[in-house]
Amino acid sequence: MKIVRNAVDSLKPHFGKGGRFEKLHPAFDALETFLFVPGHTTENGVHIRDAMDLKRTMFTVVVALIPTLLFGMWNVGYQHYRAYGMEVSLLENFMFGFWRVMPIVIVSYAVGLGVEFLFAVLKGHQISEGYLVTGLLIPLILPVTIPLWMVALSAIFCTLLGKEIFGGTGMNFMNPALLARAFLFFAFPAYMTGDIWTDLSPEPGHALVDAYSGATNLVYFDENYRQMTTVSDMFWGFEQGSIGETSVFAILIGAFILIASGVGSWKIITACCVGLLGMGLFLNLIAPADIPTHPMHTPAYYHLLIGSFAFGAVYMATDPVSAAHTEAGKWIYGILIGAFTVILRVFNPAYPEGVMLSILLMNVFAPIIDHLVVERHIKTRLKRA
Amino acid sequence: MENLINLFIKAVFIENVIFAFFLGMCSFLAVSKKIKTAFGLGLAVIFVMVLTTPLNYFILNYMLQEGALTWIHPSLASVDLTFLAFILFIAVIAGAVQLVEMVMEKSLPSLYISLGIFLPLITVNCSILGTSLFMQEREYGFVETAVFSLGSGTGFFLAIVLLAGIRERLQYSNIPAPLQGLGIAMIITALMGMAFLSFSGIKL
Repeated sequence: MKIVRNAVDSLKPHFGKGGRFEKLHPAFDALETFLFVPGHTTENGVHIRDAMDLKRTMFTVVVALIPTLLFGMWNVGYQHYRAYGMEVSLLENFMFGFWRVMPIVIVSYAVGLGVEFLFAVLKGHQISEGYLVTGLLIPLILPVTIPLWMVALSAIFCTLLGKEIFGGTGMNFMNPALLARAFLFFAFPAYMTGDIWTDLSPEPGHALVDAYSGATNLVYFDENYRQMTTVSDMFWGFEQGSIGETSVFAILIGAFILIASGVGSWKIITACCVGLLGMGLFLNLIAPADIPTHPMHTPAYYHLLIGSFAFGAVYMATDPVSAAHTEAGKWIYGILIGAFTVILRVFNPAYPEGVMLSILLMNVFAPIIDHLVVERHIKTRLKRA
Repeated sequence: MENLINLFIKAVFIENVIFAFFLGMCSFLAVSKKIKTAFGLGLAVIFVMVLTTPLNYFILNYMLQEGALTWIHPSLASVDLTFLAFILFIAVIAGAVQLVEMVMEKSLPSLYISLGIFLPLITVNCSILGTSLFMQEREYGFVETAVFSLGSGTGFFLAIVLLAGIRERLQYSNIPAPLQGLGIAMIITALMGMAFLSFSGIKL
């Protein structure tokens, strides 16, 4: 560590005022503060002396994402070998997934941070740590077969148009990672829907098993929900889907970390589940009895388990920047996300997965929800006075 | 009844005048800096729309269309005045806007001042003329026209209030200087349109 410190110190004058690389100071500063706790305070933004700063908040979320990442890697391998009917060890499954997922993570981080560095240097402000989370979220919500250049493109799109254009971390109104996914979803639908969820790179000496189907559970939705995998498979995550979304169990570990550390709002997570179950039960009630395969018949708790609802509710909806800020607003925001997710899943055949779009839509509604809540508070206080 | 509810929902969300047709962008972008004024303009647009579209419906069906004038004399059945639709529609809209302006100046002077030139400009708000023309093109009946105009107006109202909410939240954001104002509003509109795409596959 001492060698690194000395190296950084010897380089420091070049990046300071009047140095050769003065323009690159923000980039240097970000690296230095990443390696060592700085002895000075930040120059802009809010100053509160607390053990909890942006870096630590972001790092907590990254830690909370690790279980889904590890499970996702294993599941990528598991689905791959299952499609070829091969029985391999746990480690082999994991290593296969590791080599498939790691490039996506690296590209996402490298490109996104590159854009952030560029902007920081151009605008001369400090690099903030917001991208640490976004950069990990993007790979987790993409299918494993996504071409790397698309990952790069979406990372550029979301950092540029989702964040930097509004002034950087904390200034945006939409969740950047979801924006990246929505961008890919609308721009390259062929790579985001269909038989893309399992890595089918050929295995010498093995052919695809006959029973293989590239469909996720969501596809069975419009046909017949009874064709879905078992509830326990859906809970543990032995199903196809985006890299990080499949295992509700791994996501619950993350949710526990987020709630225990106070980084994620338990109100939003609970409200999402309440809205989802409420709307699911309501649709069960009014479902047409003469069509037993109608998607409205899907048991409400299935909605909790399939697709990326759990992932979205825990990691995306709780994004403190794009969510509603007021406490009452958080409940409304969450309930609307849950309810709207079910509506989109059931009634919109074009998008079997409603979580992404319903969170984005509620990001749009969040400011007005906050406004209404605040206006209401003002009114009741005035009445009391 | 179900048909009418579907028509309303379709006009508000699925075929939103702003996000699906990009009509009425000028006032949408210009008067969305504050929620309060956006709210006022949205209401004014709803009012003008609900007033003018059914009026235009009557004009179209009892004066302009081929055979519409038979109520005066059967010999007029072959007269087709549809080419006058544009100009008459706009005249009706202008009249209705005058009415709104007079009422607002009298009862809500603060809102009247803050809306400024954009209140009379509702006259040329494309979303209002657009709604009338959609009514003509899709051959709605009277009740359908009334519901559709209310839905269309509500869609505009929703869009402009949402945009104003976001812009108020972004007031303290560090937006690059060249993009401040209209530039960022257009980018926000595009991103909002992306979120509203979630409705685009729903069939009612």
